[in-house]
Amino acid sequence: MSDGKPLQPEATLTGDQPAESGSGAVHAPSPPDVERRQRPRPKISTTPPAPPPPPRLDDYEPIIGKPELDDLRFLARQLRGKTVKMVNSTAVGGGVAEMLNRLIPLLNELEVATKWEVITGGNDFFEVTKGFHNALHGGEYAVTQAVKDIFMMYTEQNRQRMQFVEDLFVMHDPQPAALISSKERHRGRWVWRCHIDLSNPNPEVWGFLRPFIDQYDAAIFSSPAFSRQLACPQYLFYPCIDPLSEKNKDLEESVVAKVCDDFGIDRSRPVITQISRFDRLKDPVGVIQAYKLAKKYVDCQLVLAGGGATDDPEGAAVLQEVMEEADDDPDVIILNLPPWSAIEINALQCASTLVIQKSLKEGFGLTVTEGLWKGKPVIAGAVGGIPTQVIHKLTGVLVHSVEGCAYQIRYLLTHPEYAAQLGKNGREHVKENFLMTTNVKRWLLLFQILLGTTRPHPPEEG
Amino acid sequence: MATAEMPAVAGRWARAPFYFNSAAHLIRIGREKASNLAELLEALQVCPDESIFQHTFQTLGEHHFIREGFSNDFAHWAFAACNEVGLAERLASIDVREFTSIAALRQRLVDLVDAYLKQNPRARERSAFEPFYFSASELIVIPTPFVGRNLAEFADGIRQVSLHSIYYHFIDARLRLKLNSNDFSLWLEHELDLARLADRINRIDIYTSTLHDVRRAILRVVQSAL
Repeated sequence: MSDGKPLQPEATLTGDQPAESGSGAVHAPSPPDVERRQRPRPKISTTPPAPPPPPRLDDYEPIIGKPELDDLRFLARQLRGKTVKMVNSTAVGGGVAEMLNRLIPLLNELEVATKWEVITGGNDFFEVTKGFHNALHGGEYAVTQAVKDIFMMYTEQNRQRMQFVEDLFVMHDPQPAALISSKERHRGRWVWRCHIDLSNPNPEVWGFLRPFIDQYDAAIFSSPAFSRQLACPQYLFYPCIDPLSEKNKDLEESVVAKVCDDFGIDRSRPVITQISRFDRLKDPVGVIQAYKLAKKYVDCQLVLAGGGATDDPEGAAVLQEVMEEADDDPDVIILNLPPWSAIEINALQCASTLVIQKSLKEGFGLTVTEGLWKGKPVIAGAVGGIPTQVIHKLTGVLVHSVEGCAYQIRYLLTHPEYAAQLGKNGREHVKENFLMTTNVKRWLLLFQILLGTTRPHPPEEG
Repeated sequence: MATAEMPAVAGRWARAPFYFNSAAHLIRIGREKASNLAELLEALQVCPDESIFQHTFQTLGEHHFIREGFSNDFAHWAFAACNEVGLAERLASIDVREFTSIAALRQRLVDLVDAYLKQNPRARERSAFEPFYFSASELIVIPTPFVGRNLAEFADGIRQVSLHSIYYHFIDARLRLKLNSNDFSLWLEHELDLARLADRINRIDIYTSTLHDVRRAILRVVQSAL
């Protein structure tokens, strides 16, 4: 790392410098470890492995229990015979497609016939929608007549190509939002599922899209903070994790041990981990600074694992800053992993004593959800969707500074019973609110409410 | 105390069975939002009843796994986002079991925040770390296959239903019934004439117990009579 170049081939691994060249004077003792200096490169495939088949509903029973599955089946029975169409802009890649790949088989298994369609368009269409996407996050974008024409032309092409014969239509994100113009000619209720943060949108882009959104029967946001005032009711669907995915399923201890061994992590000493892209908004440098402050008093290792440093120039620059901040500390292990490292990420989280997500800005923060699900005490920045997950001092701790993060590392490492209770509460919080099965229930409830197959009970009504 | 009721209990059929239901809720994002305590006070006075219910009753179901230190969303926000520990303590002391109407509960919340801000005027406009977003729940009742026709079947149901069912009958019911009681206690008292058992169940503390604890405590009380 002294030359600043990421190691290759399969995964970038840093932190394997000789201990004497680091800042060992201020550190608690760490074992001089010749083997770790010479540790082998971890074996991670250079190509994505084939995805496993999606789980069946019954596979979730050991996790959520039979009564919960019974509730899902009851809610679905009320919808039998109803049909749903979900539309987004890509079949592979990205969080929305990943979520739909899990959600849609479960809805169909519940006999709520759900069809997934993907809108098509030329490069010019997707350049426009990418511009919209960035602008809805607050970036600049000029909505010229040409931009409007491109967006509407491809919308019309897709509208002509698709059939709208279902009972419910769910459009994901802005790309297919204008298909709502089919509403007048077809029966059915329309839902807009917005996965992005609309708290500070570019007014011009939002001004163009809003008339479409106002025609929907309901809108869904991932956080109240991401929503806008709209004409239709707005519902809260938290993003969720699949407890049976590679990244979140239970792992054999031998798998965890092997990954730690491969990465040179000493499991006899505390391990604190932040999983995130090498992105300044995730504050990896701040995490190292907090670790250094904490390490004056408590022995620990820091693992910073993520991706984004190979194909993103800014990510590479951030990785360089991270390595400089880490200096030659042998207890700081920096891993630049490929996107298909789900098992490795899972194992690293499982092996952690504490999980950190010291973001300065965040969407919902699914890495926090993953850490909580593994029953780990989580220290996280109080930004974006994180406070929804980390209820301060109950399901984790929130911090606002490097110093606060350092203090919490020290406190939790020296108060393991309290840390364990936070981890236990955190896992329950995820089980109750942020699992795929909970989201299936939310969809079933929303469909029922929109189709009038049930009437919600007001709080004081018997 | 329950032993006096024991001999008759084992084989006694209830006059009407207890049908266990479960409940599922969907959160609707509200229009009100508070970035400081003055805005919270204003929003508390105008928000829909469903929002008061969501942030006091329903939140107990959503955070059922927390044994101590959580009472309602307003108290937690005052503590974690406003750093107003004194107000947080007072808000956390609100016990929903004392209220049989949303109007009375809302008034208590308003009075507490108002009194605190009169004593601490500088806290009115101090920005919170993060805003408080009001929301509301749409609750749908779900029948379960469990039915209690006597105490043994009732215990079996308690053992097997989901925690959402425990929440629905034990916490949500308090406002629905407009009584200082819950569905379980009401049934035991009215259908099985087990008033003392009903009272013991009604006194299980939801603020110092998780819903798992509540389930276990109910079972202990019922088992003691079987």
